[in-house]
Amino acid sequence: MSGRVLRVALPGGLPIGLALAGVLLAAALAFARADIRTDMLSLLPTGESAAARLMLAEAGGGPAARMILAGIDGAPPARLAAISAAMGAALRGTGPFEDVRNGPGAETGGPEAAFLFGHRYLLSPAVDADAFAEPALRAAMRNVLRALRSSAAPLASQFGLADPQGAFLPVAGAWIGANQMRLRGGVWFAPDAADEPPRAVMLLMTRAGGMDVAGQDASVAAIRAAFAAAEPGSARLVLGGPAVFAQEAAQSIRSDALLVSIGSVVLVVALLLWRFRSPWAIAAALVPVALGVAAGLAAVQAVFGFVHGVALGFGMTMLGVTADYPVLLIGHRKQGEAPPATLRRIGRAFALAVAAALLGLTGMLFSGLAGLAQIGLFAAAGLAAAAVGTRFLLPSLIVAADLAPVPLPGPARLLRVERLRAWRAWALLPAGAAALFLAVLGGPRIEHDLVALSPVPAAALADDAALRAAIGAPDAGLVGVVRGATEQAVLEREEALLPALDRLRAEGAIGGAEAAARLLPSIAVQRARRAALPDDAELAARVEAASEGLGFRADAFAPFLRDVAAVRTAPPLTPEDVSPPLLRARLAALLPHDGAGWFGLILPADVRDPARFAAAMRDGGAEALDMGGEANALVAHVTESAWRWLGIGAAAALAALLIGLRDARMTARVTAAVAGAVVVTLALLTFAGVRLTLLHIVALQFVCGIGLDYALFFARRRLDAEERARTLMTLFLCNAMTVGSFAMLALCRTPILRQIGATVAVGALAALVLSFLLTGAAESEA
Amino acid sequence: MLCLPLLAAWSDPPLETLMRRLAAVQRAEATFTERKTLAALAEPVVTHGHLVWRRPAYLAKITDPPDAETLVVDGDTLTVSGGADGEHAAPRRLDLSGEPGLRALVDAVRGTLAGDLVVLSAAYAVTMAGGLADWTLTLTPRAPEVARYLTRAVLGGTGAALRSVAFAQPNGDGSVMTIAPAGGGAS
Repeated sequence: MSGRVLRVALPGGLPIGLALAGVLLAAALAFARADIRTDMLSLLPTGESAAARLMLAEAGGGPAARMILAGIDGAPPARLAAISAAMGAALRGTGPFEDVRNGPGAETGGPEAAFLFGHRYLLSPAVDADAFAEPALRAAMRNVLRALRSSAAPLASQFGLADPQGAFLPVAGAWIGANQMRLRGGVWFAPDAADEPPRAVMLLMTRAGGMDVAGQDASVAAIRAAFAAAEPGSARLVLGGPAVFAQEAAQSIRSDALLVSIGSVVLVVALLLWRFRSPWAIAAALVPVALGVAAGLAAVQAVFGFVHGVALGFGMTMLGVTADYPVLLIGHRKQGEAPPATLRRIGRAFALAVAAALLGLTGMLFSGLAGLAQIGLFAAAGLAAAAVGTRFLLPSLIVAADLAPVPLPGPARLLRVERLRAWRAWALLPAGAAALFLAVLGGPRIEHDLVALSPVPAAALADDAALRAAIGAPDAGLVGVVRGATEQAVLEREEALLPALDRLRAEGAIGGAEAAARLLPSIAVQRARRAALPDDAELAARVEAASEGLGFRADAFAPFLRDVAAVRTAPPLTPEDVSPPLLRARLAALLPHDGAGWFGLILPADVRDPARFAAAMRDGGAEALDMGGEANALVAHVTESAWRWLGIGAAAALAALLIGLRDARMTARVTAAVAGAVVVTLALLTFAGVRLTLLHIVALQFVCGIGLDYALFFARRRLDAEERARTLMTLFLCNAMTVGSFAMLALCRTPILRQIGATVAVGALAALVLSFLLTGAAESEA
Repeated sequence: MLCLPLLAAWSDPPLETLMRRLAAVQRAEATFTERKTLAALAEPVVTHGHLVWRRPAYLAKITDPPDAETLVVDGDTLTVSGGADGEHAAPRRLDLSGEPGLRALVDAVRGTLAGDLVVLSAAYAVTMAGGLADWTLTLTPRAPEVARYLTRAVLGGTGAALRSVAFAQPNGDGSVMTIAPAGGGAS
């Protein structure tokens, strides 16, 4: 039976198959030619203030954004330590990582410690003329003697004789930083907590910027590979950090999207088969969509020079509306009818719906935000191409395949449905109530917090913050910023701020603060320290006098004399001279630069009184930046301008309707149906406690597009009952496809997809109901 | 049947036998005199005090004034008070797992007291001289980072009692600790 149907269907369907193959080839070509990018930086607007510029630079390459935290648990501590050590050895100094830390090893031995010890008399704040006076030297030597007589004698022999005053200690303290990590088996473990199993902790700094998605993917893959190679057994690897979250979110979006795509394809195929009883109907529905994707890709690539992954994803979502076009065409065809007859009945409504939707998209197109503009252009070009394809290509293909809807049920049922329009005045009730509800609230709530756009669960963010605190990593909230034309200028201005920071710390306003000048003093300060060192003969005389009678051998302090003499002839250190990679990376993170100059970042830890920190920064000529606040202000600015452009697009669409319909009353009805759907959707979202983000703007734009289709097709007049029934069935079909697909999206785990899904599903349903009631002809008008 | 342990003891190399005997000691207390010869100081430093050992991993070295210092190792934690920090400083706590050098020194003494040849052999090449009644163990570090500040450790004893510990450092510094049983002694 089915074989016979296919044999009959195949020859007529062949042109559709060929057309589909052709447009799919075009879409594949467009994909192949498009330069698809995924880094978030190219989507963001350029910062307007210096602070915003720094924020963007930091978001892309800053230390906080490039940090990955790895936790290993689920095995005995000794096993965890061995895994951490093996991973550290495998990852350290290789490819994607600038720095891999899993314990104190790197700073207490190796080139880092040797470098810091060798330059201690330039780097240490403990060096001044007093420290080299005879009384201070004698006190220092007594301490060395006591250490030599204790069990610490080996250490005292190695370091104390060369550094009797202990100048190295504050240097090591500043560079190594504070953390609460516990050591087990030579590697870091998270601080012991009663209810938590032991967890080894690693801190990795990627070379790739935080928004370089591909680079971060490679980094995460390298960590997972190293973990797998360390024979983890029962152990579990947990990764944290902004880049990892972004990657995991992208992955869950991908898997959600795949699931939903499969679900909605099954749904759409089932609906199309039910209504048109031919596999070629599915092919016909695909032709405009594929054509639209090809055109959208080509247009964005031509205008912007690249296609962003976000524009591709959302743009394709919006092109879902083009699957309605062939359905509208086939659904209105009478059995055996030639193309011009069908087009005569629906051509005007179709052209007007497409034109109004296109004009609506112009708002996004000219919004000036690269991301929105790309989505707008992608959707507009795709929509236009799909409409042109449907109008000029599809009719003859449909006739060749003899596609038409199955015969309709009798007109009696249609009339029963249409009688519902008697209640049309009631349609104004929900729309009016929704508008009133929003008016009372002062408009829908707009989300200004960047975190809301993050697909990361709040619990994961909290875990991440706790790990960061434990490891002594600065949290990226409040930052002091010093600016200068040169590195030295920045260091000198930071040095002027250090006493105020020390005071804040002593008074408990902050737990401490990291700054480049604490690690590497300015050349001026280093010169002053060098000048405070006595010359060789003078120092030898003082050492001899100071050690008199303490029992030291005559040459016991020879290493001290030698090291001081070496520093007195050495040039001061600049950031370029700091050669050990770990130290270099740490300094660079605190001393970033852009084209215009250098920034000195002052990162406070454990801030208890942000207002006092900010005041101290301002008093010292620095800026106090709330990085979270800056990011949020940026998002708020973008969101606000997007809403404005959405309004402008809507006004353009309205003008198109007025001209196209040449009927003010009907224009008002169409507008009321579409606007009513938007208002009802907004009110429902607001009622559900949702704060509106950029995503909702995109979703509402989509709702407006399909709402126009519905409203304009219902608005056609002087139709026989048969045609009205076709319109009703066809629009029901279109609506079922849209609502079904997006309702599936609303069931996803990923918050952003869920929001888009809910918005479109609710909006599309409201648009259908309102269009049916408001723009369709009532019995009296038909 | 009774002959079997005897046979085993007889056929074992003396080092393994010594280790087994040391491992049988549950706790011990002793007094010590330590004589440190340092390149930096004209005169040797001589200190006195006492030692406490409890299986499996507790070792305390308490030095009498004027160089009062309490050093306790228990498991992986080393706690020291007095000594280099002076009398009134708060105790300093170190995790041996993060200090491979210090750990090697601790293992030399604690590994011997515990009769744990696995621990000793992990860090040192171990040679034994003398008989079970009067023995000498010479430990030579295997790892270069330990060899940087420890040339060798020499431990001497009679039967299951440790009687001396000597460390020699590459820079010429060295110490010799002489141990005399006190209180209950070996049990």
